[in-house]
Amino acid sequence: MKYLLYCIFFFWGSSLFSQNKEVLYGLDETPQALLLNPGTRISNAFHIGIPLMSHFHFNGGSSGISAYDIFQKSSVDINTRIRNKISELDGRDFFTATQQLDILNFGWKNKQEFYFSGGVYQEFDFIFYFPKDLALLAWEGNSDYIGKKFDLGELNTRGDLLMVYHLGATKRWSKKLTIGARAKIYSSLLSFSSTDNSGTFETRISESGNNIYEHIINSNLSLNTSGIASLSDLEDSSQATNKILNRAFFSGNLGLGIDLGATYEINEKLTASASFIDLGAIFHSKDVESYTINGEYTLDGIDLLFPPLGTSDTAPPYYDDLIDEIEEAFEIDTLYNSYSQLRPLKTYTSLKYNFGRPVGGDEGCDCLNMGENQKYNQSAGLQLFNVFRPRGLQFAATLFYYRKISDYLTFKTTYTVDSYSYNNIGLGLVSNIKMVNFYIIANNLQWYSNFAKAKSVSLQMGLNIIIDENK
Amino acid sequence: MKNNLHLLFLIAVIVFFYSACVKDTDFDQTDDIVLETVLELDFIFFDINSQNFTDLGVNNTIISDTTNLDFLGSEAASENIIRVDFYFRNTNSFPVSLESQYQFLNDNNEIKYELTIPIQDGNINNPVVTEFTEIIENNDLIDFMMATKVVVNTIANTSLNNIDGNLDLQSKATYYLRLEQ
Repeated sequence: MKYLLYCIFFFWGSSLFSQNKEVLYGLDETPQALLLNPGTRISNAFHIGIPLMSHFHFNGGSSGISAYDIFQKSSVDINTRIRNKISELDGRDFFTATQQLDILNFGWKNKQEFYFSGGVYQEFDFIFYFPKDLALLAWEGNSDYIGKKFDLGELNTRGDLLMVYHLGATKRWSKKLTIGARAKIYSSLLSFSSTDNSGTFETRISESGNNIYEHIINSNLSLNTSGIASLSDLEDSSQATNKILNRAFFSGNLGLGIDLGATYEINEKLTASASFIDLGAIFHSKDVESYTINGEYTLDGIDLLFPPLGTSDTAPPYYDDLIDEIEEAFEIDTLYNSYSQLRPLKTYTSLKYNFGRPVGGDEGCDCLNMGENQKYNQSAGLQLFNVFRPRGLQFAATLFYYRKISDYLTFKTTYTVDSYSYNNIGLGLVSNIKMVNFYIIANNLQWYSNFAKAKSVSLQMGLNIIIDENK
Repeated sequence: MKNNLHLLFLIAVIVFFYSACVKDTDFDQTDDIVLETVLELDFIFFDINSQNFTDLGVNNTIISDTTNLDFLGSEAASENIIRVDFYFRNTNSFPVSLESQYQFLNDNNEIKYELTIPIQDGNINNPVVTEFTEIIENNDLIDFMMATKVVVNTIANTSLNNIDGNLDLQSKATYYLRLEQ
């Protein structure tokens, strides 16, 4: 239990950023920028990621709480801190964990100047909205909340473990416009979602007058799972692992998706870009089990009837009848129907201003190629990010500054704001030493002296081999 | 020289990334996390008249009923409930005083806890409400949590034959739970 709590709190942070890779977006020195915008203007002739090492991304977060909030050394009792946090958080707060691992990543430019890029990556994505009412009920009970309707609809969670096979093409159609698209095949390994719930639990002063209270529960709850039911029949975890891994090669529940992106160089100084990532769905048809509980029940205690029984007679089974009635009212229906699930669609838009020292030619200035072809060693701008989550859009805005320090060292720093956090500072470094491309990115740097205070933890890194067009 | 500086910068940043630390926290406080919950639930209720008594005999003055309360004897309940308050509200319109006995028995029908509530007499036009609260904790609670059923005896001081009126009981239990590691 203790270690579980450690893990939960370690991975806690502001999840608006869990899908947002604000530093990597537009960082054209890394081929992985193509995964965030297939319309990235890329100058490589070829790249191949070091298998399993070309991109690793982890982010864990919560929208409203840090490990420090709960576990700080303080004279205030930890239970008081938890109680205070429960009252601060609301049903829009959430916890997330996202992880990606590039298995394979490669790209090449053909004679028609199309840059093809493809590969395989594994992704885990989890979100759990904070069910405030249920937390309140568990932590404090109903005694102080007579007449309050505890909202069961706050139960909202989703988790996916999948492999993504992708192939994209990027083409600079004109001096101003680069566009790209990426087709994706999703192979879902495990999936669960419970996002369409409703219902209430209320204890109120009795209106019927039978007893002091009426406890009224009405529920409309559902949980969809795929790839999970069959695992419960397996004897040990190694069998389960093998079964999950076997699904990675197109034998899981499959889905289709597309990424679209474009970069438009308005003029030599101004560049705009936008992308849609994961516009698609997974069709769950294998190993599907869905559970629903739809029911309503009013409990007002045990009604004793005092029947005229003889000495050898037994009293009516009041309690057993009551339990049977409740179980009947909230019977769990198990369904095996196929269902489809939209992928969480992400969108990026960006506008940047280029300035500083011209770079790109042998002597710094690409003087034979001025105009929109010209690159500068610095830029600054604004990025906007959206992700469609079960409870609607999550939004983030980022200011960034980019600087190419030398031919083999580039950095980008970001300042991101969203509904919950106003001070997320990110930094990414890319080094290109000969053909070896290495990058490392992290955010919430302002908390690096004490990560416990950070509401999110995010790290991305990778290693590629790149052959530049000029070589 | 400039390139070396850049390399140094890169290394310094990477070292910085990996030197992040967690401090001023004490994760052992998880041992101190205690869930203290107070749940209020309806208990039993009934509405009886003189017929309930005379069905067993014209001069009968006692009626009984029993219900299981299996959850009380469960391990989860006995480990986590630290106090139980019962509240009984009897509304009597019999012009006769009564008495309610609650005998909490285990599976062997041994009395583990018992309480008696005197009920004031009333009249048909002005029923009298008698409220009664019982708090069970400490050693009494240990015995109480061994019970799995309750026998309710309602006793009239005199025969209720041909007497108008009724006795209405409403009751609730307040369970104080303490969940810890």
